[in-house]
Amino acid sequence: MSVRIQDMQPLPAAIALNEEGLANYEQAYRSHYKSWAEVLERNVDAIRRGQYSLHWLNTDGANWGKRAKPSSRGMTYADINRIRGYGDIPNEANWFNFAPRGSVREPYREQMPTIGDYSVIDKNELWAENVITLYEEAKARQWNATRDIPWSELEALPDDLEKATAQLCTFLTEVEFVAGDFPAKWLYRIPQDFLEVKSFLATQLMDEARHQEVFRKRAIAGGGLLHAAPGFEWALAAILEAPTHTMGTFLLNVLGEGLVLSIFRSGEMIAKTHVDKEIFRRCLQDEARHVSYGVLELKSYIANHPQREAAIEELHRFSDVGEQVILTAFTEPALIEPIAVLLGGSLKQIDQGMDGLQHMWSMFVNEYLQRCECAGFDRRARCTIPLDFPWGQAA
Amino acid sequence: MSAVLETRQTVSFPSPEFFQALAGIMNANRARQEQLGYIDCVAVFTITDGAGGGKARHFRVIFEEFAALEAREIDDAMADEADFALAGDLATWCSMLQSIVVGNGRPGLEQTLNRLSHMGTPMKLVAGDPLKADLFFRYNQSLQEFINAASALDIRFANPG
Repeated sequence: MSVRIQDMQPLPAAIALNEEGLANYEQAYRSHYKSWAEVLERNVDAIRRGQYSLHWLNTDGANWGKRAKPSSRGMTYADINRIRGYGDIPNEANWFNFAPRGSVREPYREQMPTIGDYSVIDKNELWAENVITLYEEAKARQWNATRDIPWSELEALPDDLEKATAQLCTFLTEVEFVAGDFPAKWLYRIPQDFLEVKSFLATQLMDEARHQEVFRKRAIAGGGLLHAAPGFEWALAAILEAPTHTMGTFLLNVLGEGLVLSIFRSGEMIAKTHVDKEIFRRCLQDEARHVSYGVLELKSYIANHPQREAAIEELHRFSDVGEQVILTAFTEPALIEPIAVLLGGSLKQIDQGMDGLQHMWSMFVNEYLQRCECAGFDRRARCTIPLDFPWGQAA
Repeated sequence: MSAVLETRQTVSFPSPEFFQALAGIMNANRARQEQLGYIDCVAVFTITDGAGGGKARHFRVIFEEFAALEAREIDDAMADEADFALAGDLATWCSMLQSIVVGNGRPGLEQTLNRLSHMGTPMKLVAGDPLKADLFFRYNQSLQEFINAASALDIRFANPG
């Protein structure tokens, strides 16, 4: 086979390495951080001399000897946390590396690195009394968007309903990305002393990955993705950029996911196929766990804050902005109109659907306010979201 | 090869025996429950006019891990102690169960538990606080399949008032 000279392509340019980043890394590990080199030297020396240490057999300072027993569910975090020395969750973390809570780690503290990004050190900023239960439940109730949905039974819908379904799924795909990115952002900042919360957030990440997957698949199986929207984007950005974990969790899990939970329930209600019913039913289960964590995390934050009233006022200030930004998503025509079409049963009956949406709106807002109240955060007098859907009020 | 004759249990609705039969089916299908995941809640199914004369009948089912531990009829006061109650009139319950039977374990689109209760009518979800109400959502698929098992029963329906 011959190749003509004019058809030949130049070789690809060398891939640009991150010279600056690599240089900084080398500088840090070769000249700045000394401890690792000392550890390496000591280890290599012992290996060369054929000398055992066996210090790890010494149980002084260890919580050694009491064996954890599984409960009927298997070996849960609750089961191992009952053993002395393992379930003591500090109010403030002071270990900023990977040394496991309950291990013999104190003698090595000075020789260990410190990870500066572990910045969420206050238990009140992340703990919820139900987090271990929710973690176990999340693992037990995982499902598979590829296999557990009866995709082969998906029926084609009339064009208006198919497009409304696809648009709703496009919105949900967009939303579920931030619902994964938010816990991902904070997961990394949480020290491992709060490993139960990290574990739960990992399940939330998996849940949200599956949700964006299932809605993307549903849209494309029915014709395709439709419109992204600026209103969605601003609401999602406000969640991701929340200044603290508690504030962001409130905005995402209590307000945002509370509303999305209502949309999932509405989605199940208005679904036109058994496939869609199953999708929404599966998703609403996951979403309800996230909402439940959000409510009790907020409750724990408020109940344990040393300056409770000031903390509540700060949350109000945050909510004054947060509610309005979230409202940009929940007033987008690209969201409310397809829901109204599905509720009404066709594009021609969008007005009837809008009547139903007004009822749903009041329900959404009321549920949000109930959840706030349950957490000890009475938002009724200051809520900036209208209690009634203002459709056509200016007409 | 021997033929297996399946006998379907005959139960009245509403009755404790109906919910006990559903519990029995759930417990006999542990593998399916393990797929669906834990369900930990105390649910009450209320037929608001089930006792005649406008009086309600309540049936409490205690779910734990992968099983229905207990299914029994309870009084009004005990119903308030449950995590949540799903309440509807006899006609609504009968219509839903008939749909499940006709669909061989799959209710019609308008006859799922969430569909019937989402707007507060014709069924209503009653719970003391939002966290308890959320249990109905957290275990929704399991609860739906618990009820869907009615398709395996021969049900004698009481006449709606």
